[in-house]
This record gives sequence, C-alpha cells and structure tokens, in this order.
Amino acid sequence: MLDEFDLKKKFKYFDFSVFFSMILLIGIGIAAIYSATYSSGSAAHLNYQRQILWAGLGLIVFAVIVFTPMRFFLAFAYVFYGIAIASLLLVLVIGQKGSGAQRWLGLGFLHFQPSEWAKLATIFVIARLFTDCRDWLRQKYIIALVFAVVLLPMLLIFKQPDLGTALVFAPFIPSLLFWGGVSPMVLFSIFVPFLTMIASFNFYTFFALMIIIVMVLILSKRELWYLLVNILLNIVVGIVTPFLWHSLHEYQQKRVLTFLGLVTDPKGASYQLIQSKVAIGSGGLWGKGFLQGTQTQLRFLPEQHTDFIFSVIAEEAGFIGGMIVIVLFAIIILRGIKIAASARSQFSSLVAIGMVTLLLYHVFVNIGMVMGIMPVTGLPLPLVSYGGSSMLVSMAAVAFLINISKRRYEY
Amino acid sequence: MRFSSNNRKVLETFYKNFYYLVSLLLFSILILRLFQLQIIHGKRYFVQSEKNRIRAITLKPLRGRIFDRNGEMLVGNQPAYSVYATPYELQSWQGIYAHLANILKIPEDELKTIVKKHQQGKFNPVKLKRQVNFETLSRINEERLDLPGVGFWIESKRFYPSSARVAHVLGYLGEVSPDELEKFKGEGYRYGDVIGKQGVERQYEKLLRGQFGYEFVEVDALGREVRKVEEQKPIAPKPGMDLYLTIDVDIQTLAESLLGSRKGSLVLLNVRNGEVLCLVSKPDFDPSVFAGIITEKQWDYFQNHPNHPLYNRAIQSTYPPGSTYKLVLAIAALESGVITPEWSISCSGRFRFGARNFKCWKSRGHGVVNLYQAIEQSCNVYFYQLSLKTGLSRWADFGRKLGFGRKTGIDIGMESEGVVPDEAYLDSHYGKGQWTEGMLLNLAVGQGDLLVTPLQMAQLAMILANYGKYFRPHVVKRIYEPVTRKEIPIKVDSSQVQGVSHRVYEIVRQGMWLVVNGASGTGRAAALQDIAVAGKTGTAQNPHGDDHAWFIGFAPFDFPRVAIVVMVENGGSGGAVAAPIARQILQEYFRKYPVKLPKKMAISLPVE
Repeated sequence: MLDEFDLKKKFKYFDFSVFFSMILLIGIGIAAIYSATYSSGSAAHLNYQRQILWAGLGLIVFAVIVFTPMRFFLAFAYVFYGIAIASLLLVLVIGQKGSGAQRWLGLGFLHFQPSEWAKLATIFVIARLFTDCRDWLRQKYIIALVFAVVLLPMLLIFKQPDLGTALVFAPFIPSLLFWGGVSPMVLFSIFVPFLTMIASFNFYTFFALMIIIVMVLILSKRELWYLLVNILLNIVVGIVTPFLWHSLHEYQQKRVLTFLGLVTDPKGASYQLIQSKVAIGSGGLWGKGFLQGTQTQLRFLPEQHTDFIFSVIAEEAGFIGGMIVIVLFAIIILRGIKIAASARSQFSSLVAIGMVTLLLYHVFVNIGMVMGIMPVTGLPLPLVSYGGSSMLVSMAAVAFLINISKRRYEY
Repeated sequence: MRFSSNNRKVLETFYKNFYYLVSLLLFSILILRLFQLQIIHGKRYFVQSEKNRIRAITLKPLRGRIFDRNGEMLVGNQPAYSVYATPYELQSWQGIYAHLANILKIPEDELKTIVKKHQQGKFNPVKLKRQVNFETLSRINEERLDLPGVGFWIESKRFYPSSARVAHVLGYLGEVSPDELEKFKGEGYRYGDVIGKQGVERQYEKLLRGQFGYEFVEVDALGREVRKVEEQKPIAPKPGMDLYLTIDVDIQTLAESLLGSRKGSLVLLNVRNGEVLCLVSKPDFDPSVFAGIITEKQWDYFQNHPNHPLYNRAIQSTYPPGSTYKLVLAIAALESGVITPEWSISCSGRFRFGARNFKCWKSRGHGVVNLYQAIEQSCNVYFYQLSLKTGLSRWADFGRKLGFGRKTGIDIGMESEGVVPDEAYLDSHYGKGQWTEGMLLNLAVGQGDLLVTPLQMAQLAMILANYGKYFRPHVVKRIYEPVTRKEIPIKVDSSQVQGVSHRVYEIVRQGMWLVVNGASGTGRAAALQDIAVAGKTGTAQNPHGDDHAWFIGFAPFDFPRVAIVVMVENGGSGGAVAAPIARQILQEYFRKYPVKLPKKMAISLPVE
C-alpha cells in the first residue's frame, strides 16, 4: 500500500513525458490561436485569452481525474453512460420541439456537451462490459454488446445531425475489441469487408487488398470453409459495391457523399484544401515566423483558429514546427499504449487504450484533413484547436492516461 | 480472454507492439505528407503563396421574384449600387475618411464606427452605404485616384410593377439587424445585407434569398484584387426561387380601391383549398418605399402613425365580431340540443335581465321570431335568451372548435390568436364571482371580451360553406425553381371541425341564405344577380368610436367556391357598409371565374 501522504512517492510514477507534452501542445495552440486571429481586428482577437481560461479550467479537471481512483469510474461506468444517452436523447427531443431559430440556438448551446461526454462514457462502459463478462460470456456476446453500446450514441449524435462527431465512436469497436482479447480472425472477418467496400472503387487497390486477405487467411491456418466463405464474401462486396454505386443517379451519389460528410463546403472543398495546402507547403523547413504567415494573416484559411489550426502552425513554424506537434502527439500516444499494456486491471487497461484511440483518431483525421489526405469532416485538433469542449475532453483523456500510469504499482 | 490466459506476458507484448506499429504507421503517413508538402513542394507553394493568392469573393444571388396567381409580376429586381472600402487602405491614407464622409454624406465618426464594427480582416471590403444615387456614384468614379480601396458593387433592389399594392401580403425588406445577424449566424448574412422583415418576404426568406456563389480572384501582397483565377471555376450563385401567390391582382386591386381611405380589412378565400385570393389591410403602405433607403423620418412615420399602416389588420388586429358571431352561438345551441330551429321568442326590442335592459338593434322589436328569422334579421333578444339556455362553457367550447382563439396558420406570420373568454378567463380577469351572467349576454352578440381576427371570421365562413371542412389559409400557391425549372406545389393542410353535425350546418346555412336573400335580411346589399350568396352581417360597438362594420359570407350557396370577410373599422352598420363591398368583390370574382349554375331557391321556410 502506498503511503497517501508521501508526495514524493505519489509522483514517482507520474508520467511527466505525457504531462509536459500536453502542456507544450496547449501552449503551442494558444500561440497559434493568437496568430490566427491577430489580424481580424474584431472580438475574435480575444480568442486566445478565452483559450487560456479553458486550459486553466482543464487543469482543474485534469487534477481531479488524476487523483480519483479508477475504481470510482469502474463503479459509475453504467451511470455515466446512462446520463450520456439520456442527455443525447434530451437534445434530440428539445431539438424537435423547438422551431426555427430557437432550435438553432438551443442545439448550438446544448448539442456539443452531451456528445463529448458520451465519448468518455462509451469508453468506460465498454471497459466495464469486459470486466463484467470475463467469467461467463463468450466472444460473440461481448462483440454484440460492444457494437450495441457504441452504435447507440453514434446513432443519436448522427441524428443531431453531426456525422463528424458520430464517426469518432466507430474506431472504439475494433480497437477495444481487439485489445480486450477478441480473436483477431473474428475481427478480421467482421471489418475487412468494409475495407473492401472502399478499396473496390479502384481495381488495383481492390486486387492488392484481395491478395493481402488471401495471405492473411492462409497464414491463419483456419478451416478451408472459413477461408472460402471469407474470400467469397469480400469478392462479392468488391463487385457489388461499385456496381451499386454507378447505378445511382448523379444527384443520388451526391446525396450519399453529402450524407457521409464528404461534400459539405459550399465553396467547394477544393478551395479550402488549396488554401490550406499552400499555407502548409509555403512554410518550408523553418516557417515564415510568428505572425508572419501570409496565408494566415491575410485570412485565406477557413476556420483557421479551430479546425485548420495545424495549417497556421505549419505555415509560421515550418516543417520543424509541424514535426514538433506530431512528435508531441506521438509521445502521448505511444506512452499511452505502454501505460495501457502495463495497467494493473483490465478495466484500466481498456480505458487507457480507449483514450489512446480517441486521441489518435482526432489527431490523424484532423492533420490528415488539413494536408488533404483525409476528407473534410470538421474535427478539431485535440489540445491545440480553439474551443472549450474539445479542450476539456482532450485534457481529461490525457488525465486518465496519467492516472492509470500513476497507479500501475498500487495494490 | 487475454487477461485470464496463461502466457499473458507474451501476448501482452504482441498486442502492445501491434498498437505501436499501427500508431507509428499513421504518424509516418502524416510526417511523410508534411515532408512532401513542405520540403519537396515547399518552393512551389511558397511562390504560390507570394504571388498567387487566391481569394474567394461572395457572389450574391438574385432574390426570387413574386407573381400573382396568373403570373403577373408583383415584385421584381432592378440594379442598385453600394459603396465599399477596404479597411487597410482607409488606415493607410490620410484624409480619406474625411473625403468619403463628404461624398457619402455620412459623418466621419460614423464611417469609422461602421468599418470598425464590420470589418473581417484588413483586406475584406466593408460596405459603407447602400443604394447610393447616381451623383455620388459619378463623384466616386471621377475622384477614384484620391480614393484608393473605394469602389462600388452592383446589387439589386426590389421594384413593384403592379397596380395593386398587396403591401401586407408581400411585406418588405430591410437591412439585417444586429439581432438577426446573431440569430442567423452561419447562414452567410453580412452587415448591409437585406432580409425579409414582414409578410411573404419574411416568411419565405430562405427560399427567396437563394444561395451564395463564389468567384476566385488573385490578390496581391496587400490583398488587392489583381485578376480572376481561371483554373478555379467560379461557383455561380443559385438564384432565389420565384413565388406564385394565390392572390388575384384584379380582385386585389378592386378590393384596395373599395376600402379606399377607410380603415379595415378584406379577405377572400377559396373554400376548396384555402387559397387567399385577396387580402387587404387599410391603411397600407407603398412597398417600394422600403426598397429604397428608409429615412428616419419615414420610419418614424410608419412606426408611430396612429393608424399603424404596417399593421396587417386582417391577421394581426383583433376586434369584437358583433353579430357575425351569433352563428357560433346558433351552432352551439343546436348541436347541444337545447333548442330546435323552430324554437321561437317574441322580441319587443329589449330584454330585461337582472337590473339591466339589453337592447335589440331594432327598438320596435322583431315580434315573434324563430332561429331562421333571428339569424336573418339579426335579432339580439333571441340570442340573449339563447345564450342563457346554452351557457358560457358550451359557447366557448364551440367557438374554439370553430377555429377561434388560435392562429389559422396562414403563411404570413405574426398572426394574432384572439380571445375566446370562458369561465377561467373571466375569473382571472375580473376575479372569481366578480362577473355576472350579463357578460354572457354581451358575448352572445359578439361584444365584450371576445376578440377575433378578420381572417378567423373568413375561416368560419369557409367552415360553414364546407360543412365543417376547412383548409389552412395560405398565400403562396407554388414555388418555381428557376435553375431546374421545376415547380414545387404547396402542400395544403385540411381539417374537419369535430362534433358539429351536417344537419346543424344545414340549418345555420339556411339562416345565412336568408340574411342575403330573405325579405327582411340584414345583408341584402350583398346579393348578386345570378349567384346565391349566403352571409351574416355584424355591427360591433366599440368604446373608441363608431361601430365596426362586418360582413362574412360565401358563394355560391349550393356549391361554394369562395368565402369572404369585410371589416371596416368605425364604418357603421355591417349591412350598409360592409355588405355592398362584399357584393362588388364577389361580382368581380364570378365575372372573372364564372360558374354555370342557375340561381336556385335553397330552402322553403318551415310553415308555422
């Protein structure tokens, strides 16, 4: 048992590399927000001050989480989840009752909070399900349960409608199922057809994927029928998907793309992307200097203090600056995986890997988006982008990692 | 499961390494892409960022036009010029504010406030003044060397080619207010834009406005426009949709001239679908005044004029309905079974109740009258007695069933609900036990706390014409999409009054036929030569002046097509003032849309 009052010991396992990476990222974010809103000349100029306030509030949340025992979150996992679902439902009901502008404002104020809360609550409930089902449930039940608890909030958020946020929940399923110990081959059979669907639009990617699938299946040394069923399924999906797609009318296709959040910007995503890519590319190795980015200061970038904050950093601080941000995130993520692997309970371990998944998804989708390799979905960059809700949730996620690492030798 | 397995350590390492691998793969993709953009193509992008700055310029769509039901244009667009300036230039050149203030005739301080409040970055131009006149325009053009960064945009403003004003239906546009900017945040409104403030312009704002387009221009290092970018195709603005109203301009014009300088309103409804064929509220305003720049004096005039010309009396004002509301009491009494139509009383010209004498409008009295005659001659005494038999709660109940006390849902907005007083209402207004049954007698003849809008009365006429079926009144008939050239019809909601039987409608309708066609009917002035009209007059007392004249009705009696309400504030008697106006409107309607039906005796009076 650790001596409660021995601070030195208490911080012995405090993960300072993760903590300082977080603090650095927040600092970089505030500087970038300052620069991004520097020339606007209006009230937006005060955004960086507000961001400092949010970071301060975030530190309080951070401290509370770090010093709360994980068994508390284990005990209240279902309650948290219940509250999250109830508040998501409430948002939908209020959203439907109100009319016109009221609904707008109501939603604008309310809808963000429950969905952010739901991200964390969903991770807890999955971790709790594994803990509860350890003795008596077999794989297929846990798979069904995890699908259910993830799809429910996804559906509610999707109805708001906020597809970008709803999609954040999707990677929880493969990541936590895999980490929780569900047979990789089962997961392979479930998830690869979705990959095939995407790959099927290009013959070469489809062909390459098929070869990989066949090789994995052969290496798995499973029964022959299992092999054949899987291959057949993927081939059918691969042939049917493009066929179905092309049988749609152009406006139907457009509707599907809009529905998937791939066509959202009326200016044409190409304009946004060109501006963002020019900003990043023109930064070069060392960048143009703080407050010197022409793309940023002339306000060519859309949403430059929120979703496109990375472009501001890359323009003004160059490849070096962009690398620093990516490396800092990599430190948090890689340390996070280590923390998850050495956690002392399965619950903590799964929570840690859930937080890692959440952060990694945001980082990859956001930075990928501003560099034009991911679709424009409107996700913020954790810890860096302007915005209170995003800041609080990302700091909470890091806090859980540190909490779990700190307690790894507590018995 | 993993945690219960024996070779935990080995597996743990495998899982950990797998996640490391995936994460490192994703981070490598990001780093490689960053490397590609900044190091490999960095030079190219740098050149592009220095020389080739592309800016998206918003292109405003043309606002949708508005037509009458037969395609006659009511509202169109014509060009107008707005002056803008770039904040960066204004800051860098001395004396430019003073110069501009002189030309635009706006005080220098005010100009500075406008720029400060509405600039979005130093290089996005800010609109300083809308709809400048030609003289200002040519001065800016001549002195443009002294006015760097100042220019003008061609925009459009509304114009009104029609002879009819249709003011309260069309509504008007105005500059978007700070509240509206906040309310419609994210929908692209900017300072200086216009937005619908009333009527159809307001209600159908989203459809009429259209969608912004974008044009891509190259700007220099200071943000000044250099050339249009050819590689990036402009996205054309999507023009707003055209609206075809249900209004018939000819009938509307006639109605406007018939009400003339009187205060009041007139609504003609198609009872088969709820279309509003004309809707007049007087005094009205000339909508083209609002297309220009409204001076403070003009605005003051519209806001503070004692007759409130901006007020849409047909749907916003509430009045006591007078005797027209006797129809509601008749329905309540018949449906509740307290009387049969043969039930008669003797009218001596007054009715003593408690310590008060309640008068009939005819001081000599009507003699013995049954329900038909009481409706025909609008006998107050009959309805005083009937109200005592029916009771307040039934009366209020049927009032609500017949559409009173709630909005009709017409697509112009800002509608009033009116008031149908019931026990709870009177208790809360006068205190429990503080009001007497004498109040019920007043309500029976449409006086007292009962308040209705003229449109609600027109709706009652529609309900009676259709034996309980009614449609949501609406002014937009169809929406025309100019790009796809598709027409979107408006969905018409219909409802049925619950709990009133066909027989009861039959009886009340017969009474209404007699009002116009009977020998001593009060509404004989509404009769047409070859079409049977049914109706009810009303003369509502009001404490502020002369009586309000009312007429409601529908025609043709057997196969109704239209329902009408005419309401003249302080006009005097309904039969003498409102009924003749209704006749002329109906006459015009049937001239334009004739029916081939013989005039027909609808009923035979019950023999006594």
